[in-house]
Amino acid sequence: MNNIILEKIARLFLRVIAVMSVLLLLRGHNSPGGGFIAGIVLATGFIYYGIIFGSDRIQTIIYFNTRIWMGIGLGLVLIAAVMPVFAGHEPLTGLWYIGEWPLVGTMHLGTPLIFDTGIFIGVTGLILSIIITIMEVLKWNT
Amino acid sequence: MILFALLLIPFSFLMLSLLIKKAGIKQRLALLFATFNFLWALALVPAVKFREIIVVQMGSWSAPYGISLVADRFSVLMLVVAAFVFFLTTIYSTQSVDKARRKNGHFFFSFGILMGVNGSFMAGDLFNLYVWFEVMLMSSFILVSLGGERQQLEGSVKYLILNLISSLFFVAGIGLLYGKLGSLNLADLSLKMASASDNLALLNPALILIFVGFSIKGALFPFFFWLPASYHTPPPAVTALFAGLLTKVGIYSLIRFYTLFLYYDHGFWNPVVLWAGGLSMVIGVIAASSQYDFRKILSFHIISQVGYVVVALGFFTVAGLTAALFFLVHNMLAKTNAFLVAGWVHRERGTLNLKVLGDLFNKSPIWGILFFISAFSLAGLPPLSGFFGKYLVLKAGIEADQVFITLVALFVGFFTLFSMVKIWMEVFWKKAPENIAQLAPVELKPANWMLFSSVVMALAIVAMGLWAAPIVEYCQLAAEDLLTPSKYIDYVLGYH
Repeated sequence: MNNIILEKIARLFLRVIAVMSVLLLLRGHNSPGGGFIAGIVLATGFIYYGIIFGSDRIQTIIYFNTRIWMGIGLGLVLIAAVMPVFAGHEPLTGLWYIGEWPLVGTMHLGTPLIFDTGIFIGVTGLILSIIITIMEVLKWNT
Repeated sequence: MILFALLLIPFSFLMLSLLIKKAGIKQRLALLFATFNFLWALALVPAVKFREIIVVQMGSWSAPYGISLVADRFSVLMLVVAAFVFFLTTIYSTQSVDKARRKNGHFFFSFGILMGVNGSFMAGDLFNLYVWFEVMLMSSFILVSLGGERQQLEGSVKYLILNLISSLFFVAGIGLLYGKLGSLNLADLSLKMASASDNLALLNPALILIFVGFSIKGALFPFFFWLPASYHTPPPAVTALFAGLLTKVGIYSLIRFYTLFLYYDHGFWNPVVLWAGGLSMVIGVIAASSQYDFRKILSFHIISQVGYVVVALGFFTVAGLTAALFFLVHNMLAKTNAFLVAGWVHRERGTLNLKVLGDLFNKSPIWGILFFISAFSLAGLPPLSGFFGKYLVLKAGIEADQVFITLVALFVGFFTLFSMVKIWMEVFWKKAPENIAQLAPVELKPANWMLFSSVVMALAIVAMGLWAAPIVEYCQLAAEDLLTPSKYIDYVLGYH
């Protein structure tokens, strides 16, 4: 399928949605949003891209296999869960670093952000692995 | 952290097996993590002796609001035995499960089950119990259907649908209970129920829904249909794992639930539990005696054995609960080992139909003896663990003045013996039938690791019979803890 308008829109759409999902991820701690929903939003962008360009192109963009991405996501969750133990708290307790940064001013960084990023990557990887498998079974690309 | 590690170990394995591609390395990692999990669970035994009830509040949120992991003596007992069973079945499945299945995530999903089982044994609140049940259910569903044989898919559809119904009941009950009492923490709920003691009938709809959910999970009469319909379809190593872990989690939750909530309305619940247990006992054993498939007989026996535990719970004395715990442990070991032997028979002959099998004792006396040990332990012959299990149940029954149900239990014991003798005669003792075309003998690699895990399990069964006293003593302490829920409440809510 060669439709230049659709292809341009799909590329643009993926970028907009990627920025949007990161925004959702970052605002998630205190406002609606968070890792899970951000992951789903990012995955919809990829799915739209995949419907137009085929699943091989998704695979080239995300570089690693989706399995690896899920593993990385779980790894980040694991790190966020265990890190407080070494600081002498119960597991999963939030550790916060409050610092002054140029441009953005005061920013709270903590283990919940790592946890959410892990969820974000894991959920995106999971949905993409399902979609890519379905596309391969349906022979979407050919 | 000490409890959290038991969730962390399977979780790390899941993470690593996603990142690593090579099947050989994954298998070694699986063995390593299973060993580690077992050792960690063992380390909890002295810890619980010292601290009585270990409580960990996730994320430092205190008890009624946060998520608590709780392990008293009962939980630790179950964790240790489950870890032991898991360790041995993992070793066993390196040789028993075929290569394609091992490559496509057999270990991945069995660790998913381990994570669910560990989580539900430690869950301190009702909703997390539900979540861990789901983790377990999803992994076990994939394990049942992994491989995609026709028979497997048929079994897994029944398994999935009936278990989803059980989850539906369970979560609906949780919703109602939360609406009425406004809490999900087990200890907090129990406390609130104690103060609402004149309106307990209002809670019964919720409690009945949850009870039905647990009964389906634990395969009690009349909700056991999914078990014999699905357990004979996956590879034998998977069945052994399921037999050792899955139904027992349902029974664990039932015991926990009964000792924390249901006993407030003892007059209503005690007959329900006794009848459910008694009927499971009888119907399981009678249904088993009409089957002609090795694994189907054993599957029906799971129902009957679970009935013993529930009946012993229904006596609701220290002796009764001691018997229930001892019997649960015995059953996890003996049942798993019986399925392990079934796995060997399946590997040798490619079938588990009793009519076709025969003469296997001559082929390998060791496996014959291993089956003898586990089968006659299930039937309750004296030096083995089953004898003490049954003896304790019967003794507790007579002491609790439940003579009728005790006599039923005794009578069920004879039928169990009958079924076990039937398998023994048909599979190991009789001459191989001549008029049925035997499969050409296949050259198989020696099954050393399968033999190893079965031997260890059999030794554990014998040891549990010979050194029953310390285990009974431990079970008695656990039972005393279970019968004083105020202790549990104090520890979890931090009054202690």
